[in-house]
Order: sequence, then structure tokens, then C-alpha cells
Amino acid sequence: MSNALYRLVYLSHNNLEGDHAALDEQIRDILNVSRRNNMQACVTGALMFNTEYFAQVLEGPLHAVEATFERIQCDERHSNAIVLQFEPSETRAFSNWAMAYVGQSQDSAEQFAAVGDESHFDFSALDGDEILGLLMENLREAESLGNRQ
Amino acid sequence: MDYPASADTFLDALGTGIVIVDEGGAIVYANPALAQRLNIAIDDDTIGRSIIDLIGGILLAHPETAQILNRQLRDVGESALTFNVAADRAVTLYIGAREEGPRVIVAATGWPRSDAASADLVAQVDPLTGFGNRLQYEERIRAFSTSKDRGISVAVLVIDLDNFKQVNDTLGHGIGDELLTLVARRIRTCTRNADTLVRLGGDEFAVVLKHELDKERISALSQRLVTLLGQPFLVNGHQVNIGASIGIAALGDLTNNVHDLLKHADLALYEAKKLGRSCYAFFESRLEEQALDRRSFELDLRRALGLRQFRLFYQPQTSIAENRVIGFEALLRWDHPVRGRVPPDEFIPFAEKIGEITTIGSWVIRTACEEAMRWADQTLSVAVNVSPAQFTSDALIHVIRDALNKTGLAPERLEIEITEGLFLDQSEDVMARLWAIKHLGVSVAMDDFGTGYSSLSFLNSFPFSKIKIDKSFIQADDSPRSKALVSGILSMGTSLGMSTIAEGVETSHQYNEIAKGGCSIAQGYLIAKPMPASEIAGFLETFTLLDVLAS
Repeated sequence: MSNALYRLVYLSHNNLEGDHAALDEQIRDILNVSRRNNMQACVTGALMFNTEYFAQVLEGPLHAVEATFERIQCDERHSNAIVLQFEPSETRAFSNWAMAYVGQSQDSAEQFAAVGDESHFDFSALDGDEILGLLMENLREAESLGNRQ
Repeated sequence: MDYPASADTFLDALGTGIVIVDEGGAIVYANPALAQRLNIAIDDDTIGRSIIDLIGGILLAHPETAQILNRQLRDVGESALTFNVAADRAVTLYIGAREEGPRVIVAATGWPRSDAASADLVAQVDPLTGFGNRLQYEERIRAFSTSKDRGISVAVLVIDLDNFKQVNDTLGHGIGDELLTLVARRIRTCTRNADTLVRLGGDEFAVVLKHELDKERISALSQRLVTLLGQPFLVNGHQVNIGASIGIAALGDLTNNVHDLLKHADLALYEAKKLGRSCYAFFESRLEEQALDRRSFELDLRRALGLRQFRLFYQPQTSIAENRVIGFEALLRWDHPVRGRVPPDEFIPFAEKIGEITTIGSWVIRTACEEAMRWADQTLSVAVNVSPAQFTSDALIHVIRDALNKTGLAPERLEIEITEGLFLDQSEDVMARLWAIKHLGVSVAMDDFGTGYSSLSFLNSFPFSKIKIDKSFIQADDSPRSKALVSGILSMGTSLGMSTIAEGVETSHQYNEIAKGGCSIAQGYLIAKPMPASEIAGFLETFTLLDVLAS
């Protein structure tokens, strides 16, 4: 049971600060560290972000997903996590570990496009899955609301 | 004398068990003492296996311990775990932090044996979390109290988990234990190496800080802990949400005695819980006074029944159609020689909390039945308020039956008043008890209707004899909205075949309004204030409702 494949989907507040260049650097740092850690733990998935929110999908053996989540929870770069899904999964939607910007801002989309490309973010993995669809909706809405404030 | 030439031979010669594992958890080295300590065979095949694999046999009988060890090995932090390798022999594994490269695990039995102080150290470790235990807390505090350093600053944070019991109750103690190890790890990530981390017991932890102690730093740490422990946990495939409340006490701040700190932090914790949980509070001297007040109030309350300080007052209820008294509601009064008359909304909730309500409630039922038997008109009803806390056992049914039997009161004269709060947990037991009361021939009224968790399904779930409309509706302003609300409740009661009774009727205007709306019964100062049992006879002789209404 402990090695069963699980999928975790959650949203959290993005606590990163700074201008686009600073954000880009921090995002790349997250990408590198999590790619290394996740590969070791057989965890795949995706981290989507915008200036307001992070949305994360983690897939892997139960204990590896739990340990990864626990490590991320203690990271002050985000807060207020809301778990949308945590259950056994038959297959992986993501075969590697990737990151991409998902939001309303054209500037940010251009700025962070490289991260998505470099990490081989596969948006088609999100198609046809209800939870992942809702996740994207939440993410897009969060930034549009944030921008209006 | 020959010394071991290399680290390997040195480790081989050591009496303490040592294992080194690589990043993937595979054993790269194990010394002979490990075999001795763990009572297992170690050979060339040992290399490359996992620790769990190696000692799985020992832990077969203790799957929970194996689970904890598994978790500790997956975690990057340092920890300790004690378990029995034989009936009378415990071994403690000290698991080093996992950084880049190999990780060291030490297996010791009261290690090292010759050093009594270190043996004590093992006794001071909580095996589940690797934190210190209460003994370690006491030791640290003793060290502080004998310290020559005059300027020593110490602060104690007591961390108590909110809703932890629910986790244990619903997911089992195994998950509960795993959660505690995760909590411990989160606490560790917020603190510094020099801080003492203690599991005081159950779901209560303490952090002892002894440097750079300004209030801002302590506040920031506490807020961080509250936030972090309020984040979701994933435990064995379950999502678990708890929270933490923190009480803080610091040396030099209201006390110079380190032995006061835990008590003060506990009082501050109580305050944090009272403030709504998931927050922190610093100790203040008023908290100690309040605690002493609470204690003396509790003692007084526990003695009140024995010292005959309780009395029942009775407030008449009149039929609007018949213009006459049809019964009384019994109201509990506590007259304390020093405190004076203590309001029921102060002592009833307290009595519920300390479990005295059952005893007091039984006395009320019995006394009301007894006194009602003395009334000149033996058709008058007597209504008794019963707290949801009394509904937690069948004892209530026995108490009512017993009171009826012993006093000879006709069951139909007794009415039990309950509040909507009773239905909060939708328990089948509660429904069964309500029906048992009804089967005794006693009626059940719904009190304070509209103020609590008003759900119309409650009204449909049981044949209540009456709906009591809360006085806040009766005494509300004269606006069309307020009137519509009252008339709505009245017509609903009528449609459901339940009598309606208006509480807190104080003016003829209010009386006329409810009468117009079709209300069946009125109760309030307009008719009469609650009176002691001794005044009932005189009241019944002289009272006429029409005089009151005419005045």
C-alpha cells in the first residue's frame, strides 16, 4: 500500500517577492531543486504559478509524495495550502517534472515562457481531467482578481 | 599500544552499533557491534540492503514501530527510536540527519553504559518524536535554575494541537502517532539547534528558548509555528488538518523563577485556546488570577448542592384563550453567601463543562416534581430545562422516571424543555432518549426557538408539545419584518399541531400582538416575575390575568 501510486493536487499562496527578474531567478531555483529532489524520490508532476498562486500536481509512491509535500509545507515561499485531491491514481499524468506560468498577465507569460519550454511542460497532460481543469481555472482567476486589487 | 589504523578498523572495534547508509537508504557499512546490539547476523550480504529489511524481523511484532522507523528514515531530519530487541533489552537507534552523502545511524543500549549521565540522556528522549521528554524539560530547567549566569534569559512555548483527538478517534492511534512525528519535524524546522524541543505528553509540545529573547522574535516564531502547524498534513494516504495553540512565558517577564514558566505558559495556552485557537498568547498576571478565580468558582459550584444554595423559582405560563394560569416554568437560582445571586448563564455552562450538570439537573427535576405536587391546582404543568449535556446517557430517563414514581406527579404535568443545541450532532441516541421521555407520558418542548441552530427538520423529527419563541423576537422592534417573523413562527407551530408559547412578554402591546398572531401561551414579567415555591399558593389565589391586562 505504501508504494501505491498517488496523486496530490493543491493550491497555495505565492509568497515570492520582487520584480520579474528576481521572480524568474527564484522560480528557476525552485525548478532546479525540486527537479533534483523529485527525480530521486520517483515523484513526477507539475508546478504552475503566477504572481498570486502556486498550483502543484505531485505523482509518485505514497510515501514519496507525502515526504515531498511535507518538505514543501515547511518552505516559507508559499502558504495557505488547499488540497484539492489526494488519492490513489492508476497512471501518471506527467512523465517528468515541469513548471509553467499560468495566468492572465501577458508580460508574465512572455517572461516565464522559457521556464515552461525548458522544463518541457506538457499542457496536454491537463486536458480531460476535471480536477486539473479546476486547478487551472482557480489559478487563472486568482491572478485576475489579484491584479484588480 | 596499537591504535586502529583506519576509521573502518576503529569502527569495527567500537562497542556501539554503527550503520552507514547511502542516499537511497542502502547499507554501505555496518560494524560487528551492530549485530550484537540488534541480535542479528551481519555478513557480506548485509551491504546493499535497507535497514528496515535488516531489522524487519525484530519489528514484525511491532508494525507501528516499523512504520515510525520507516518514516524517520525517509525524513531528512535527525531522530531517535527505542524498541525492544528481546523481552528485556531495549535498543535506541539514533538516526543522523540526511545531508549530501551517507547517513550515520547509531544503535546503542543505554549508550554508553559506563557513563551514567549519557544513560540518563536516553531516558530523556521521547522515542516517537526524538524530542526530549518531560524529564529532559525538568533537567534543562534545573540547569537554568542553578546557572551562575545572572543575565540568563529563558522563554517557554507550550504548543497544544487543536483537533488532535479527532484524528486519533477517526483514523486510529497509528496515524495519530505518525502525525505527531510530522508535527515534531515541523516544529524542528522553525527552531534553532540551541532550542530545547520537548514532547510534554500526548499532543502537547514545548520549546525552550534561551537566547536573543525579544518579544518580537518570540512572536514571529510563534506565528510561524501556528501557521505551519495549521497547514494540511498528509499521513499514510490521509489528508489531516489540525491546528496549534501556543502559550508563552518568559523569565524576567512577571517571574524570575524558571519553575514558574511551564505553569505560566500553560495558563497562556488556556487563554490562546479561549481566544479561538490557532493563535498564541503571552502570559499575563491576570491569567493567574483568573485561573484562581475559576478554581474557587468551581469549588463553590461543586459544593452548592450539598450546601443547599440552589432553589427553584417558578414563572407562570398563562393560556391566552382561557385567560388563566396553566403551569409554571421552573428556573434554577444559585444564592451564594459571598457571591450573591450567580446568574444561570454564568454557572450553567460552567457546570456543563465540569460535569456537575447531571447531578444538579437531577436535583432540579426531582425538586420541581416534588414542589408541583404541593400546588393547590393539581392540573398545573411544570416545565424543567434540561441541558444537552444531560442527554449524553440514559441516566436522564431513570432520573425522570424515578422522580415521577417517588413524588407521584402525573407524568402529563411534567414538561421537559430542550434547546436546539441538542440536535447539533444528530445523534440517534438523543432521539431514542427523547422518545423514551415521551413514552413515560412526559411532554417535550422546544425552548429558545429561533436563536440557535434553527433547522426546521428538527421540528419535524419529533412531536414537540410546544415551541417556545425566544424573547428576543417578542421584544423586538415593532417593524413589519419583526412582526412577520413572529407570525411566521406562530403559524408554523399551529400548522404542525404544536402549541406556541411566547417568552419575555413585558407589555400589554406585546401581549396583544402575539394574541393576534394566534399564540397559545404567554410567559413574562407582564404576567409575573419568577417566584419562590412558597409564593405560588398566594399568587394562584389572588392572580387574575384580566386585571393585569386591564392595568
